Amino acid sequence: MKRKEFIKKTGLLVGGGLVGPYILPSGRLFARSGTEKAKHVVLVMFAGGVRQQESVLQRYLEDSQGVSGAYGNIMPNLFLGDSPNKKVVYGLDLPGEPRGSDPIPRLLNTPLSQQGLFFPEVRAQSAGHYVGLNTLLTGSLGLSQGLKVRPQSPTIFEYLRRHRGFAATDTWFVGNTIGNSTPLLNSSDSSDYGLNFGANMFVPPISFGTAGKNTLSNAKPYSNADLAPMYEMKDFLDNSFNLEQSLVRTVKNTDVERTRIKEFIRNTFTKQSLGQIAMPPSSSGGDAFNVAYAAEILKEFKPKMLAVNLSEVDGCHSNFTGYLRSLHRADHITGWLWQYIQNNIPEMAGETIFIIAPETGRNLKPNPIIDENDWLAYDHSDANSLRVWSVMAGKNVPNRKVGSESSPVGRLTDIVPTIADIFGIYDDVMQSGYIDSQATSQFLRV
Amino acid sequence: MRSFKILNIIILISIASISCSREIDVQYQLNEVDVFEAKSQKIKAKNEAEYISILYTNLFQQAISPVQLFQSQNVLYSIGDQNVAKEMLLSNYFNRTDIQIPSDIEMRLNLEKFIIDTYKRFLLRLPSEGEKSYFMRYIQARPNLSVEMVYTAFAASDEYNFY
Repeated sequence: MKRKEFIKKTGLLVGGGLVGPYILPSGRLFARSGTEKAKHVVLVMFAGGVRQQESVLQRYLEDSQGVSGAYGNIMPNLFLGDSPNKKVVYGLDLPGEPRGSDPIPRLLNTPLSQQGLFFPEVRAQSAGHYVGLNTLLTGSLGLSQGLKVRPQSPTIFEYLRRHRGFAATDTWFVGNTIGNSTPLLNSSDSSDYGLNFGANMFVPPISFGTAGKNTLSNAKPYSNADLAPMYEMKDFLDNSFNLEQSLVRTVKNTDVERTRIKEFIRNTFTKQSLGQIAMPPSSSGGDAFNVAYAAEILKEFKPKMLAVNLSEVDGCHSNFTGYLRSLHRADHITGWLWQYIQNNIPEMAGETIFIIAPETGRNLKPNPIIDENDWLAYDHSDANSLRVWSVMAGKNVPNRKVGSESSPVGRLTDIVPTIADIFGIYDDVMQSGYIDSQATSQFLRV
Repeated sequence: MRSFKILNIIILISIASISCSREIDVQYQLNEVDVFEAKSQKIKAKNEAEYISILYTNLFQQAISPVQLFQSQNVLYSIGDQNVAKEMLLSNYFNRTDIQIPSDIEMRLNLEKFIIDTYKRFLLRLPSEGEKSYFMRYIQARPNLSVEMVYTAFAASDEYNFY
């Protein structure tokens, strides 16, 4: 080999060796088109259809049931305002006192809406749960989105994994149920993205509930050394079968990630049996269970992006008193999750942005169903159902309120561009062709 | 008189031609042929219930109870990475004493038979010579490798998820 040829080939080899490892799944050399604002994002999908009137507008029973003077804030960890002092039914039960008369003590000294960007009047794009959840996770309108099928447009998890190069265990979706198409939200069916870039997922009430305990808690402890040959043999069999990409039906982790997730499942059952799962202090319902296990995932994996879904508020279809109690508890567990990150996960404390938004609102007028207090229930299908709010707090988030009841600012489809903006892939996501044309990063709406 | 004789001969010949003949005993039989699936024909994915039910029957030689099937199916739905979920399910099954699998000693006594049986048991086909050779060498080179790990690899493989 001539000297010149040798130098040329060596140069190419060294250059390729240096650059190769940094090429992203998207084929780009460099990951970011902007500056990263925070290392982690936690999105709370809150909480099954929330009426503006009882949440951000703090009108309690005065608006919904016509009880004069019964107004006030029942979400003290999210919003600033005095609690109601008339007909208090949403709190804890005290012996000898009327049911729910003791409000849960506030956990956060400063409500989250006072710590960051607060959009009190935002437009939702759907009055339904599944399309609403799709909107929050895909940033698209979801106009032709069907039930029982994966999102048609890529989720934020896929954008982050493809354009930012995050691993599967960097992105998590924590669902609250296996019904209502919820377990399909960790990835879209998009041919450009799809399951190869999807997020990991648990549905804690199932995965770590009775069914999970009966099915998974007796697993043998295997070391990496035990499992390595199994993975090699499986890889051989899979290569031999050569499954078509279009037939892949699952998110895929690396062998190391799979071992880690399995260890997490085993350890979580052990902690559960020892009563060591941290729970919000004053709530033990399904949403609290979900948030507690989301906290376990955060503590173990320190993911870049985790979305957790709450839904107990949806009881409002037939029980308004139950709805108020669920709303108050959803506020409590959301405040607890933020506090848990700050106090128990040093790698994420001060490095996380916390986003909270309902997937849909609720009707202006009630349906005819009355509850134990003779109060009317509310569905979600009218224009009032498209009125929601959003709160964002944490690292590099300006402290500001944007918009008002008479001056709406923002759309629910803004959430995905906002997260993309936080991780510095705003341009990639906005140019993907899937995002609502009226959506933009909330940082740009300030 | 002569014409009468000719007529008699014709009648005799006619009777002889339609008389009974020796019956031939014909029997139809089937050759025994082993029928196995070809992996290229496996294009339909098993759903969660099918996967669990087939796996359970395979490993315990009895049908899974409806409650157990329902719970296991829900748990598979609830975990994003199906490989993780299925490997955990298998690990739980292998921790039960009533599982029906060969011992590690039996595996090594006749390794070729074990490999062929394992392919037939899980993938419903015979291994190719290349596949057989790979597993022969792989298992021989690892004295501590257990039947459990081989079975886990097969039951968690992509091919086992299709039919």
